[in-house]
Amino acid sequence: MSVRQTLVLRVNDAEREVRPALHDTLLTVLRDELQLTGAKRGCNHGVCGACTVLVDGRPVRACLTLAHTCRGAAITTIEGVTGIADRLRSAFEDANAVQCGFCTSAMVLVAAALVAERPGASIEEIRTGLSGNLCRCTGYRKIVDAVCAVAQGTGR
Amino acid sequence: MSALKQVHFPKTPEEAARLLARGDGVRCLAGGASLVAMMNLDLVDPDELVSLAEVAELKGIASLPDGGLRIGAMTRHRELETEARLAGPFAVLREAAGKVANPPVRNMGTIGGVVALADPAADYPSALVAADAVIELASERGRRRVPAREFFVGLYATALAPAEIVSAILLPPAAAGVGLYDKLARVAGDHAIVSVALAVTRRPRGDLGVGLAIGGCGLTPVHRAEADVLLAAGALGDAAARRAGELLAAAADPLNDVRASADYRRLAIPRMVTRAVARAREELGRLG
Ligand SMILES: Cc1cc2nc3c(=O)[nH]c(=O)nc-3n(C[C@H](O)[C@H](O)[C@H](O)COP(=O)(O)OP(=O)(O)OC[C@H]3O[C@@H](n4cnc5c(N)ncnc54)[C@H](O)[C@@H]3O)c2cc1C
Ligand code: FES
Ligand code: FES
Repeated sequence: MSVRQTLVLRVNDAEREVRPALHDTLLTVLRDELQLTGAKRGCNHGVCGACTVLVDGRPVRACLTLAHTCRGAAITTIEGVTGIADRLRSAFEDANAVQCGFCTSAMVLVAAALVAERPGASIEEIRTGLSGNLCRCTGYRKIVDAVCAVAQGTGR
Repeated sequence: MSALKQVHFPKTPEEAARLLARGDGVRCLAGGASLVAMMNLDLVDPDELVSLAEVAELKGIASLPDGGLRIGAMTRHRELETEARLAGPFAVLREAAGKVANPPVRNMGTIGGVVALADPAADYPSALVAADAVIELASERGRRRVPAREFFVGLYATALAPAEIVSAILLPPAAAGVGLYDKLARVAGDHAIVSVALAVTRRPRGDLGVGLAIGGCGLTPVHRAEADVLLAAGALGDAAARRAGELLAAAADPLNDVRASADYRRLAIPRMVTRAVARAREELGRLG
């Protein structure tokens, strides 16, 4: 039997009590216990980026983060975004940067953290910032366009 | 079904080491970027985990009284890639940090985790060997120090004893000089096919101290004191660079793997060494 323990997670500014197994990842808890399915399970070993969420404002792989190591941290998923990330979401629509949508929630969160850290980020900084997130549909160009549009609006 | 029965959160390195001594199935957990990936793939199934996340001493980078740096084992790649104190020859480590994986993985992974795992295609081992860094280890018996040049002993094998952890990476006082790290990979974010780490110090009398190491081309970083001496004596000239590159290509024992063949790697080593040495020479010239 897997050992389960109660844990309080702070997700999208709300305290949520969950009871994951010790080896369950943050991704499993978000998707299967909290029904926050914006974070996707692609590879489950860190490569594709589809599971990326923000922990204390920084993008990390939810599939490589054990849920029980997240006590005390502030977790943000696409379901809870406000501010820049919300503007990015509209910009993705305007730029037609979404096809199947599997990569989109993670792309928006990574871009939001990037623009928050470097207002007015250059196209090179944006490309590097997004380089850990794979998209099999768009060819990236429209995604970069969408992020550029929002980044430029934030000025340096 | 996972065997995991307990996750510990010790507060000191000694307490972490004591918990590790509970048995073979107890592993320590740093950023999780490699360990959790291996657990997800059912390659490892620990009984207990010792998280290092709450060990305050392992966090952050401290300047030492002698001018050196003490890099805590839990320092993330992200912090190292933006660390201004990694200057002069130690820029080799800063550049290596910026070439590990991709930005989200760099927010997770730690230098202690990379050093302890000793993946032959990882980016820090060759950089630490080039910089002649020292690895500090902690156990219930106390602390000990092992030079990076002796620490990496084989494929995923290091000088770490059972129930011992990497507590810090120590760098001597920074001298004037240049450091650089060049990585040949299939795509940005992949592990290296071949990497070159170069640290050059200009000594007060004007002569050079050189550390050159190759990553991704054998079970451990490839380093030959002879090549360092050649480069220093030849003032980083092209002829010396070619000879050093050939020497290291001959010393390397690269694998054939999905990234490249052994022959390809042997061909790439001298070319990458020549390119790195030329860049170092140029940057050193600009220092005046
Ligand atoms: C998609 C992806 C791409 C990657 N690309 C690269 C790359 O290009 N270059 C590169 O160098 N690395 C790469 N990595 C590996 C990455 O750098 C990891 O962060 C690193 O190998 C492990 O660090 P960690 O802190 O996550 O350690 P963990 O995964 O937590 O632990 C790794 C191992 O080290 C042990 N350990 C951890 N800390 C200590 C300690 N202080 N003392 C003793 N033992 C310890 C653990 O028990 C475990 O066996 C990549 C990883 C991923 C997921
Ligand atoms: S599912 Fe986490 S990186 Fe692919
Ligand atoms: S839109 Fe389909 S993977 Fe990016």
